[in-house]
Amino acid sequence: MIKVVMASEHGLHARPASEFVAKATQFDSEITIESNGNEANAKSIINVLGLGVQHLDEVIITATGSDAKDAEKALAELLGASHA
Amino acid sequence: MLKKLFKKSGTEFSPPMAGKVVSLDQVPDAVFSKKMVGDGFAVIPSEGKVYAPVNGKVVQLFPTKHAIAIIDESGLEMLIHVGIDTVELKGEGFVAHIEKGSEIKKGQLLLEVDLEFVQAQDKAIITPVVFTNQKQYQSIEVVSGNLTIADTACIIRK
Repeated sequence: MIKVVMASEHGLHARPASEFVAKATQFDSEITIESNGNEANAKSIINVLGLGVQHLDEVIITATGSDAKDAEKALAELLGASHA
Repeated sequence: MLKKLFKKSGTEFSPPMAGKVVSLDQVPDAVFSKKMVGDGFAVIPSEGKVYAPVNGKVVQLFPTKHAIAIIDESGLEMLIHVGIDTVELKGEGFVAHIEKGSEIKKGQLLLEVDLEFVQAQDKAIITPVVFTNQKQYQSIEVVSGNLTIADTACIIRK
């Protein structure tokens, strides 16, 4: 589990969300992204968009599987500054 | 007439806006033209009104009102993204008639957008409509041309 703060000024809209999902899909692990009390499958664009992550929102990424650590690190780097 | 030829083997899908329907490769943004968000089509709108293309539910309305994510009754996931880089307009030029979580009926007015304003801000008004879960379909056949919201913009083959 890794916590990040959403760095992008416009939040997780179509372009960053598609990049995020494309990156998540490269990993075998099950990955969830959590924000504002809601959880989504990190490999589903519509789920990720549904979170409505805004600039400076806290996001929690949790991966489970053989490449979990790498997945969490890569996705956290994509979204913003890492806090854990 | 031509529409009848397509009718058999797929789900017909209407454009959410009246205008010229084109293939996604016409969209000046790789996120859409390279189908990173999914396959679909784009509309160059002739009128600044976005209507529900299906019965379903609004999963997300961006705070900037420039994009709507919808899941229809059959579970099909889609994103209507009005214009390109319109996130930068921060909602200006857009009026929403629904909110996140709204149940919607086909033909219902969802959004109004001031196309002249958007163009005056140097943003393209071309509106990609993409089906975001590529596991839900085999192929999308785009029916190009000047269409109304009652016409068929694409055939979805599952």
